[in-house]
Amino acid sequence: MTKRVPKHTPASRAPLSRRELLARSGSGLGSLALAHLLTGSGLLPSASAAGRSGLAAREPHHAPRARSVIWLFMEGGPSHIDLFDPKPELERLAGQLTPPSFKLPVTSATGSHRMPIVPSLRKWRQHGEGGLWVSDWYPHVAQHADDLAVVRSCWADGLNHTGATRQMNTGSILAGRPSLGAWAIYGLGAGNEELPAFVVLTDNKVVRGGPTNWGAGFLPASYQGTHFRSDGPPVLDLRPPSGVTDSRQRSRLDLLQALNRHHADRLPADSELDARIEAYELAYRMQSAAPAAVDVDKETEATKRLYGLDEKETARFGTNCLLARRLVERGVRFIEVYCGSGSGWDGHTKLEANHTKWCKVSDKPISGLLTDLKSRGLLDETLVVWGGEFGRTPFTDSNSSKSAPEDYGRDHNPWGFTMWLAGAGIQGGRTIGSTDEIGFRARENPCHVHDIHATILHLLGLNHLDLTYLHNGRSERATINGGNLIDELLA
Amino acid sequence: MAAIGGAFQHGTRLLMIQATRHRPVQWIAAFVLGLALGLPLPAAGADTYTRAQRDYWAFQPVQRSEAPPGGEWVRNPVDGFVLEALQAEGLGPAPEADRAALVRRAFLALVGLPPSPEEVREFVGDSSPDAYERLVERLLASPHYGERWGRHWLDLARFAESSGFERDVTRGNAWRYRDYVIAALNADKPYDRFVREQVAGDELWPDSFEARIATAFNRNYAEEGNQKDLLLARQETLHDITAVVGSTFLGLTYDCARCHDHKYDPITQKDYYRLQAFFANVNHDDRFPIVPAAELGEYRRKLAVWEERTAHIWEEMSDLLMPLRNYTPSELLARYPDFVIEAIEMPAGRRSPMQQWMASLLATKTCGTCPLRPKPHLDPLFRNVAGKLKGEDKARFEALDAELQKLAHLKPADIPRGTGITDVDADPPPTHVLSNGQYTGPLEEVEPGFLSILDPRPALVVPPDGGRFTGRRSALAGWLADPSNPLPARVMVNRIWHHHFGRGIVATPGDFGMMGERPSHPQLLDWLADEFVRSGWSIKRVHRLVMLSSTYRQATAPAPGSALERARRADPFNKLLWRFPSRRLEGEVLRDSALRVAGLLNARVGGPSVFPPLPEGTPKPVGGWKTETRDSDHRRRSVYVFVRRNAPYPMLDVFDFPDSHESCAMRNRTTTASQALSLLNGAEPTEWARGLADKVRREAGIDPREQVEAAYRFAYSRRPSPAEKETAMAFFDRQAGIIAADLDQGGEPPVPASVPERVSEANAAALVDFCLMLLNSNEFAYGS
Repeated sequence: MTKRVPKHTPASRAPLSRRELLARSGSGLGSLALAHLLTGSGLLPSASAAGRSGLAAREPHHAPRARSVIWLFMEGGPSHIDLFDPKPELERLAGQLTPPSFKLPVTSATGSHRMPIVPSLRKWRQHGEGGLWVSDWYPHVAQHADDLAVVRSCWADGLNHTGATRQMNTGSILAGRPSLGAWAIYGLGAGNEELPAFVVLTDNKVVRGGPTNWGAGFLPASYQGTHFRSDGPPVLDLRPPSGVTDSRQRSRLDLLQALNRHHADRLPADSELDARIEAYELAYRMQSAAPAAVDVDKETEATKRLYGLDEKETARFGTNCLLARRLVERGVRFIEVYCGSGSGWDGHTKLEANHTKWCKVSDKPISGLLTDLKSRGLLDETLVVWGGEFGRTPFTDSNSSKSAPEDYGRDHNPWGFTMWLAGAGIQGGRTIGSTDEIGFRARENPCHVHDIHATILHLLGLNHLDLTYLHNGRSERATINGGNLIDELLA
Repeated sequence: MAAIGGAFQHGTRLLMIQATRHRPVQWIAAFVLGLALGLPLPAAGADTYTRAQRDYWAFQPVQRSEAPPGGEWVRNPVDGFVLEALQAEGLGPAPEADRAALVRRAFLALVGLPPSPEEVREFVGDSSPDAYERLVERLLASPHYGERWGRHWLDLARFAESSGFERDVTRGNAWRYRDYVIAALNADKPYDRFVREQVAGDELWPDSFEARIATAFNRNYAEEGNQKDLLLARQETLHDITAVVGSTFLGLTYDCARCHDHKYDPITQKDYYRLQAFFANVNHDDRFPIVPAAELGEYRRKLAVWEERTAHIWEEMSDLLMPLRNYTPSELLARYPDFVIEAIEMPAGRRSPMQQWMASLLATKTCGTCPLRPKPHLDPLFRNVAGKLKGEDKARFEALDAELQKLAHLKPADIPRGTGITDVDADPPPTHVLSNGQYTGPLEEVEPGFLSILDPRPALVVPPDGGRFTGRRSALAGWLADPSNPLPARVMVNRIWHHHFGRGIVATPGDFGMMGERPSHPQLLDWLADEFVRSGWSIKRVHRLVMLSSTYRQATAPAPGSALERARRADPFNKLLWRFPSRRLEGEVLRDSALRVAGLLNARVGGPSVFPPLPEGTPKPVGGWKTETRDSDHRRRSVYVFVRRNAPYPMLDVFDFPDSHESCAMRNRTTTASQALSLLNGAEPTEWARGLADKVRREAGIDPREQVEAAYRFAYSRRPSPAEKETAMAFFDRQAGIIAADLDQGGEPPVPASVPERVSEANAAALVDFCLMLLNSNEFAYGS
């Protein structure tokens, strides 16, 4: 392992410490920094609100392969060994306790490691030219086999949902760190001026750990994800109270800006105050831009059907997938779409029923999204990520051995699980890494969450080692102390 | 290879769990021997530190120097130091702020609320020479002072009222710590005592409820209640406490030395674990009684009677429910790691300290995942399978429940309880330096100790009699409150300065290390630190020194001219204080000020937190949010809004409320479109605007010009300029026209609930809009 020289800049040597962004930004005197310097000293007229809040578009570290990310988060932990990672050995060992050679953990989430191994009930087939194995739970997704790069050797640290979900989002099982989306916006700025740069779409249940999963942590709040509400206006307080017409609202804002100008006349020029004036104009534009962005009625019936909007089971997640595409079109950089928010996929008991349901919910919408992105030429510059916070164990988690096969459940498995990536020019139709014979531990080419994060940032044009922020004396980065690029994915 | 590693890990775990007792005696002996021989026991080798580290300013003793005399402008020593630094750059101070601006500044700074027009008038009209001094005194004596400054401390204490993680379980007694902080500040509790109580109040004053509640400072960590690897849970908690104690009291980033020696500061990895060792035996207690002994005895007696009378009911209920549970207690226990099961099954007297610690943690769990089976009436999940009962069983359960109800009058009301930490007993588990910070990688064993560059010996720890405490935290508290420790006083006066001027003398208030900023006024910092200690660690004394200075009384806007231009070029970020800085108010101050200006503020002090309504469409937070039924409870000060760790209150969150998962020494201060949206369109601001409009009309009647005058006095503490008045008048005309047209077209624009006679609905609504924009304006948001 090569030793990395940390790129710390002591705060005392950073000349412009009041401008936190600048003092803490590890990327040196970029254009952002310069803008701050000049406006702060009154040498330039006001910075734009985007500049002040750190949302102005910034140069990436290298040529990006993706402009946007859509992260399809199967919350609760989908069973990789029943979806993308077939393990015939499970049938041979079914009913037995896990042999010691597989190195059982000290503890599993619910203590199920003292339970017997259970086989997969799925039917498996190879798909596409690459011959990718996909089970019969994902027939529509399987049609895109040649677009999927399936990483079978993922691993993570969190044994419980909240910690694991948080790690998949922020790199740490403990709360308080910025989410990957926030890091991406910190590095690249917003891709548009009228919508939040980082949007989160969920089912009607709360994601485990709540907004800490898309928080800005110690980064400025401007980088945090915005949770789009599923009913009514997507953004909190987006619309004026009912009955306030646009002309009335505009006239209010005109008054506000007149008041602010009177105020500014009495003070030395101040870019912060100017930025606040700009922020109100941005808010005003967002009032019309955001509802338009989420208005799926503008889509054709064929498109709606493509995403499964015409079916009860798929309508909600399908709508969110469709929204994701609409947001990508509008330059939103980072979109997270949860499927089964609140640990939906958590099949501790009756995995068969649980996963049949959630696969049905997600299969067609995901397929529709991939088809749609491709046909619009967006897939090349959009990275689509699929995965949960962990996978599931080869041993059952049902409480007693009296259970019938369809009653079997599986416990949380952070030691080895599958994620896939598509788009952004990634070569599909192949697998990367492997798990052991029972799908328990990552074996070949293990990819930790930090590696996945480093790779996603790389695809966005950011070097995870250079994207730093000085916090409490440490140059923090998204990958904390880890992160290696998954070279096979980039090849 | 990995298998060997696994075996090794298992072995070391055993080692830690089964470590011998009675070690303290041995190392007290070693300590005494070391003293006798005059040999500091080396915790770090001779060349552990670089010259730069040894010479670094923050580790040198505080040195008081006399303030430069200065001239007429100098009111107190603070000014002497500030003026000297300004003059060295060829700069001078701004003129004094006008009196209306000054009274508003002092109010916002000390109580976090703007003055009423009467309070402004009174101060502006008071020509006695000590008018400003008396104003500052009055504000320091206000019960609202603690609410404003207590919130700063709560940021450091990562205060929240829930556990975080999956369930975000409510900590029902956490608010008592918030009230403790507010009361301590109001009483000007000496800071050294404040520190001692929070670090070791239970050990030092075991009979003081107040001191025990203070220990919640170290209970405010987030916690995964579902973590079955109890040693991992313990280690995460210890890491959290170590980081927060190191940064709060010492302003050091101890946390950077968790896995290796600090890369810049003289904090060795061993020092990190020496600090951690003071807390090796702590566990939380969220239910300790805080009533006098007699009352407690009476409560327990009554409870015993009720428990005895209802025992058969609980037993029968339990028999009915147990088969419906997914897991029996023994099945639940079987799901824990072996080392936990061993600890629980070991008879109490034979457990190792670590086993005893694990047993104590398990005993605090009362949820359905607890294998220890708490008393049913203490188990909030006891009934959660009752819905599955059918037929006869269901009827029987209901009958039993009815019987229980009949005996309810025997059950005494629960007594007030506190939350905090305390030692499990006098015998702590060993502390090791940990490879990568993982408990599975213990290296060298360490004893409690301070920062080695300042004091390399193990701390002298004397366990108090009674066997309840290790005595370790008392030793730590002594050092954290020791006037000869170069850090605590400097760090605290710097925090006060930081909050008054938006920038500390050390601009990184949470990092006095080598990666932090150097002090802009090093002599001033030391002078203040020394004065702080000499005054008996009085925080209010520091406020007086700061606020009565000429430095503090400067205008925000110096007269334009060449002096201003020179200052802007020489010191663009106003580090040297050539004017009073202006900055956006924190979310709490913004909200509280708006409530006060609107005449809606419920200024009640203290008590359990409140749950104001969440904005429409906000998902209901896990852990619950029971919206208050009384409007007046929606309008309490923001410091009393319930802090749910995973779901901060949106109005405060959008204005950079800190993430309560970690200590925050310096909040972010962002300017965003979401802030604009919530102040423009949110339900709360709409209510504020209506309130202000009502007040304006009551004060000024229906003459629009009078209304503008009144609105400015309420919102800005000043009169409008002629130009501002014209802007307002033009707006009234324009807005009333727009609203009238909306009404004509059959729209239903929001108008005030009651419109006085002789005023059109449209005019009344235009006044509300005007008030809303005053509250949105930069002048309101920046306090001046």
